[in-house]
Amino acid sequence: MRNENIEKQAALAAAPTANPVPPESDDFTPRYLDASKLTFTRSEVGTARLEIRDEACHLRVVIRRLMPLSNPDSYISLAADEDTEIGILVNPSELTQESQKILQEELDKRYFTPTIQKVYRVKEQFGIHEWEVKTERGRVTFSVRGLNQNIKQVPPARLFVTDVRGNRYDIPDYRKLDAQSYQQIQRHL
Amino acid sequence: METAEMPTGTLDPIPNLVEETLKKLDIRPEQIRFAVQSDVSSTGNYGEEWFVLTDAAIFTVTGEGEIPHYIPYKSMLGIRAEIVVDAGILVLETEDGTVDLIQYSNGCAAKFGFVARFIGDEIEFRDGKREEAPIWDYKPEEQFCQSCDLPLPDEFSPCPACTKKHKVMLRILSYIRPYRGRATLFMLFVILGTLISLAPPYFSRIMIDDILMPSDVDTAASEASRTWLSSIFRDIPSAALALSIAVGTLLGIQIIREIFTIFRLRLGAWLTFRVAANIRAHVYQHLHNLSIRFFDKRKTGTVISHITEDSERLQDFMLEGLSFLAVELLLFFGIGGVLFLMNWKLACFILIPIPIIVFGAGWFWKKVRSLWHRAWRRRSKLFDVVNDSVSGIRVVRAFGQQRSEVNRFADANVDARDYETHAEMIWATYYPPLMFAVQLGTLIVWYVGGLNIIGGTMTFGTLVAFHAYLGMFYEPLRYISPLINWASRSMTAAERLFEVIDSQPEQLDDGNLKTMPNITGEVKFHNMTFGYDSHKPVLRDITLHVKPGEMIGLVGHSGAGKSTLINLICRFYTPDSGRLEIDGEDIKEIDLKDLRRQIGVVLQEPYLFSGTIAENIAYAHPDATMEDIITAAKAANAHEFIVKFPDGYDTEVGERGGRLSGGERQRISIARAILHNPRILILDEATSSVDVETEKKIQQAIDRLVQNRTTFAIAHRLSTLRNADRLFVIEKGKGVECGSHEELMEQKGIYYKLVETQREAANVRAAVQAVEG
Repeated sequence: MRNENIEKQAALAAAPTANPVPPESDDFTPRYLDASKLTFTRSEVGTARLEIRDEACHLRVVIRRLMPLSNPDSYISLAADEDTEIGILVNPSELTQESQKILQEELDKRYFTPTIQKVYRVKEQFGIHEWEVKTERGRVTFSVRGLNQNIKQVPPARLFVTDVRGNRYDIPDYRKLDAQSYQQIQRHL
Repeated sequence: METAEMPTGTLDPIPNLVEETLKKLDIRPEQIRFAVQSDVSSTGNYGEEWFVLTDAAIFTVTGEGEIPHYIPYKSMLGIRAEIVVDAGILVLETEDGTVDLIQYSNGCAAKFGFVARFIGDEIEFRDGKREEAPIWDYKPEEQFCQSCDLPLPDEFSPCPACTKKHKVMLRILSYIRPYRGRATLFMLFVILGTLISLAPPYFSRIMIDDILMPSDVDTAASEASRTWLSSIFRDIPSAALALSIAVGTLLGIQIIREIFTIFRLRLGAWLTFRVAANIRAHVYQHLHNLSIRFFDKRKTGTVISHITEDSERLQDFMLEGLSFLAVELLLFFGIGGVLFLMNWKLACFILIPIPIIVFGAGWFWKKVRSLWHRAWRRRSKLFDVVNDSVSGIRVVRAFGQQRSEVNRFADANVDARDYETHAEMIWATYYPPLMFAVQLGTLIVWYVGGLNIIGGTMTFGTLVAFHAYLGMFYEPLRYISPLINWASRSMTAAERLFEVIDSQPEQLDDGNLKTMPNITGEVKFHNMTFGYDSHKPVLRDITLHVKPGEMIGLVGHSGAGKSTLINLICRFYTPDSGRLEIDGEDIKEIDLKDLRRQIGVVLQEPYLFSGTIAENIAYAHPDATMEDIITAAKAANAHEFIVKFPDGYDTEVGERGGRLSGGERQRISIARAILHNPRILILDEATSSVDVETEKKIQQAIDRLVQNRTTFAIAHRLSTLRNADRLFVIEKGKGVECGSHEELMEQKGIYYKLVETQREAANVRAAVQAVEG
């Protein structure tokens, strides 16, 4: 079955077609996009636009990471809206510089979760821990209720901290933080 | 444009920066309707940016006073608050395309969600798609304490900073009040027992100095150690007689002390269990009056474990910790006093190691405790692994993954081993030095005391007594740090229990509740909006009028909001805006007891309580006669299978009804609803997951049940809704179609599509059956 499909795709790709219509999607074969055909641009009002050469132009594509935790830089799903996937871009680094930049900006917007780079201080008061940290989005202070429920550990050493306002912060590997930060975390974990 | 009333102060106050910036565009402050602050700047970093609505346009204003976006009101087509990962974006549809207006972190999602809904409704109203102007009814969630600004544990709980620890203690004591006589007696035993404990070393001094080794000449030392009691023994002519009297007295004292201890412990136990049981009863009773939201925010398991664990912890502390603390503290000061009286110079020396012991022990226990806790976490993880792979043993075998499961266990096992070893080794390293610090005092006493004896300023008996006291003196110091910790954790546990007691009950009876002993069953939704989180509405602008006795089928994709609608009818929640009326009365004002008595529910997974079948059928009416129960069971098509059980109606259903099949449980729950005889009936997917034959039986039972009752039924299989008078189709939280089966089929809308899809699926199934048959 699988082989058949690949053959079919290959045949379609090889066949000289009059109008450049993409191969008929069959809903269960993943479509991998050719990075050389993709261009991201911005409209006048700053909305990201995706052009697939010889095929279509999509305004405000929905950009999602397939593996946001383990492999955030590859396997990007591009969709026309919440439910309609256009295809998967395996390696964004194959895009042009300009397109890469726009894609990255859009990803940063969609995946807000700040990464904690330094922990200045964790102070406990009445079961509420006040954290003062540095993230790639700037310095911030937040409060966490009862550490156990609001710190999720992803083995081996990734931590997700959720504060009282519902914001989530990421520590990709707490063992790799500087000594002071590590100590602050160890003391309260 | 028409503007709705907007109470000031419900959103962020408009800052000078925004007013100044907009002034440059000739916009006067009074033209600004509201401004909402985001905590993220347009660069994506933390900062500030403002979303401003004037009477003619939307602006965004940065912290530097720039205006990245300006969109005139008339070109706006729609607005939505898009939820992305850990943040949100306000997205505007305009005539010129889609604009990502402003980004904000999750912390601001509630207010931006509301703003989007409000402006969206205004746009719909402007375009004539909506009859009424939206109402500004933003209620910020109470996340922070109003007096000290600290975050609250949740919206139901009091501020932990403002409830003082000593208040908690006083509150615990208030539970002792009914037993104050015994409590006083208890304290008396504690004090007397402690005083008596001080006696034995004192007697050993008398025995040595005055009986066994009396000095023939009066030295300065023996002068100093002489008291009225020692003179009595000295004056007894025979040393043997004096010795037997002294030992006899000592024996008497020991016996009395033990008797006191027995009474103290017995009384302590009596008091503790009563107080703990009373607190538990109070908490449990309150638990049943709390709103469902309280349970939504916590996992059921957490609620149960909190209550049992916290009350156990509190009880343990009161039973052992409290009397230990009282006895040891009294002893500490009692002995200190005696030592200073006996020889104040020597007593000064024994104070030297105290700071070392107290701080050393404090540091030690803190370290050891966190290590033990970590080791304990690893071990419970190990059990999780075991649990996981044993529960899924079939899957493990089927995929041939025994080896990888064994490896997974081995990893966790090594992890647990290492942490436990580390913890125990740290303990082994630091405990002996701590003991050494305690021993240090003894050495000092030997040396300084010895010098005194040599110098003739102290008797040998005094030195021996000193030693005996010293052991008792240092004892409490070693445990003072874990004890304080224990005390503070128990107070926290108590606080959490009181938190439940202090949480708001589901409905406050302020005397305005309408009693409605007989409702007719008319249900009216009017522009009702509701969301479990107020910024994510699950149901929007629902309007529906249901006549008494009508049967409404609720149709829609899963997640459309059908079950939520039902939760609102049961008044597990109250609408965020709009009205829900029963017999013309706002549901918020109807006495809950009356309302619930007249609502019956048959759920997808019926919950049966442990007990017999008869007890389960008569759950809401324990006084129902056997005839009532049989009638209900008959009507529910349950009688036929119940009689086949050897124990008939007395069959124990077991935990959650595990011994019965799904269809049987379902029919018992229908019988329960029939006996309850409600005016409003709710059927939530009552016929899912049973075979065709059973479904027929259940359907029959349901048909009998819905007679003359207002019924709301949810079903995935649309054929089960064939008896419904009207179908109400919900799509993404909105009521989109309403009418009879025929009417909706004619409309060829969403309902039509759903029916067609199911028909196709049914055809396939029939075809497969035909082939297989």
